[in-house]
Amino acid sequence: MAQLFDEIIRELRSYIKKNLSKGIGRETRYSGDSSWPASGSRDIVLRSDLGIELGSPAGESVSFLMWTGDSSLVSDGIITILGPDINECSSKNVPFGRVVLVKGSGFNAENIYDRYREMDHLRYDVSLKGYMMRAVSQYMREWSRVSKEAISKGFSLLTLGGVLIDKYRKLNYIDAVEILFVTSSKKEVRELRGMGERVMQYINAMRKMKEEISIDCDNCEYQAVCGEVDVLKKMRNSIKKIEKCRNPQ
Amino acid sequence: MPKSTVIAICGKGGSGKTCVSALLTRILIEDGKKKLLAIDADPSAGLASALGIRVNKTVDDIRNRIIKNIKDENDKKELIAQLDYEVFNAIAEQGNLAFLAIGRPEKQGCFCKVNNFLKDIIKEIAGRFDYVIIDGEAGIEQVNRRVMENVTNLLLITDTSARGRSVAETIANVAKRAIKHKKLGLLINKARNSREADSFRSMTKLPVIGWVPDDDIIRRFDQEGRTAFDIPSCAALKALRKMKKYF
Repeated sequence: MAQLFDEIIRELRSYIKKNLSKGIGRETRYSGDSSWPASGSRDIVLRSDLGIELGSPAGESVSFLMWTGDSSLVSDGIITILGPDINECSSKNVPFGRVVLVKGSGFNAENIYDRYREMDHLRYDVSLKGYMMRAVSQYMREWSRVSKEAISKGFSLLTLGGVLIDKYRKLNYIDAVEILFVTSSKKEVRELRGMGERVMQYINAMRKMKEEISIDCDNCEYQAVCGEVDVLKKMRNSIKKIEKCRNPQ
Repeated sequence: MPKSTVIAICGKGGSGKTCVSALLTRILIEDGKKKLLAIDADPSAGLASALGIRVNKTVDDIRNRIIKNIKDENDKKELIAQLDYEVFNAIAEQGNLAFLAIGRPEKQGCFCKVNNFLKDIIKEIAGRFDYVIIDGEAGIEQVNRRVMENVTNLLLITDTSARGRSVAETIANVAKRAIKHKKLGLLINKARNSREADSFRSMTKLPVIGWVPDDDIIRRFDQEGRTAFDIPSCAALKALRKMKKYF
């Protein structure tokens, strides 16, 4: 159940390697001491206080999450930044990409979608002083703003990455977490979007199976995806079994 | 997080609510230290142009788009996140001024879930500003209730007509039951002179916080479609500045 995204994760690993070899990024191992004052409820950063805006609605942004059961595909605690970190950006408005890679265990047809939701929703619980984030999973968009004050006090993508890693590690089915940030250019963010769209196809197929009371595979837009991907096939069969028990005729 | 002063501006149509809202906005943020959110809750949407702000999207546009695609099974957290994203994207910003247009008020039969989430989001955003000014419709019933729940100052605007006074008194009575405002004040707008203002004052029991003279400069700027920030020093602006302490 956890191998759903393995092929895309391998592709992502090549993407990271290719860009690191170009010299536009670096990997940092999270030291485990990321602390930043909380904002109470989610902070709002207005343009008058703005230090930097990442992935604004008018610009390019992409954000998604993938999981695997293969520990060789996730480097636990690694935060990769392709492009400048927040304090190194020359522009106040930069494109933004973020991918979370998770190595987990115990995923099955019954829990896979609920776990995805739990992992995806974690980002909405991040409330840090001087950091504002708005996101729409469906569109894979993530828009954040960091205040001038937060930047002057040292807020960086490493700070954010560390806070997120701590949050993911609290989930008992997660064994390892790795985070990728991309700020280098629209081109690199768009390249990431291509992978994200495939991820979202699988997620949307799962969502449809989970949300719709009755599954009509013949008329479903995700028929091809479910037919191809073993995990989705299993999930569909499991739901069909339940459906059959409920309506034996 | 600042403790917001939430000022709801209500009164009879044509009494000058939008003009007062715009001038008051200018006065409250002109020292550059305070952040203000102006909410245009009047469907005729005049406050945006009075402040020189271009509105790309209203809350009603967001509501309609989401309702069109919503399903009963939609994930609550995801729906809130999407609305939050859209509402924040609909906020126009100009220095320490932020602006949100409500558009048409919610109709009967609208999707309650979406409306409730929207109200909560607007309330949360509003709570992050030093000042919130709501330019309302004639009555307060139509104004966003969740924001109105937090109103600290209810400012009633009237011209010197009996109808203006009657509308203001009706709103004050409804407000007593509907919202927990801390202060309520009546502003007499477009008075010809102090005698007319005093005469009007003697006819109402509402607490009058001041009067603003009928001002040719304001009228001319209004006719020319100029913004509140363009208006030079004039009698109306001076009169309103004196009332700043009320907020």
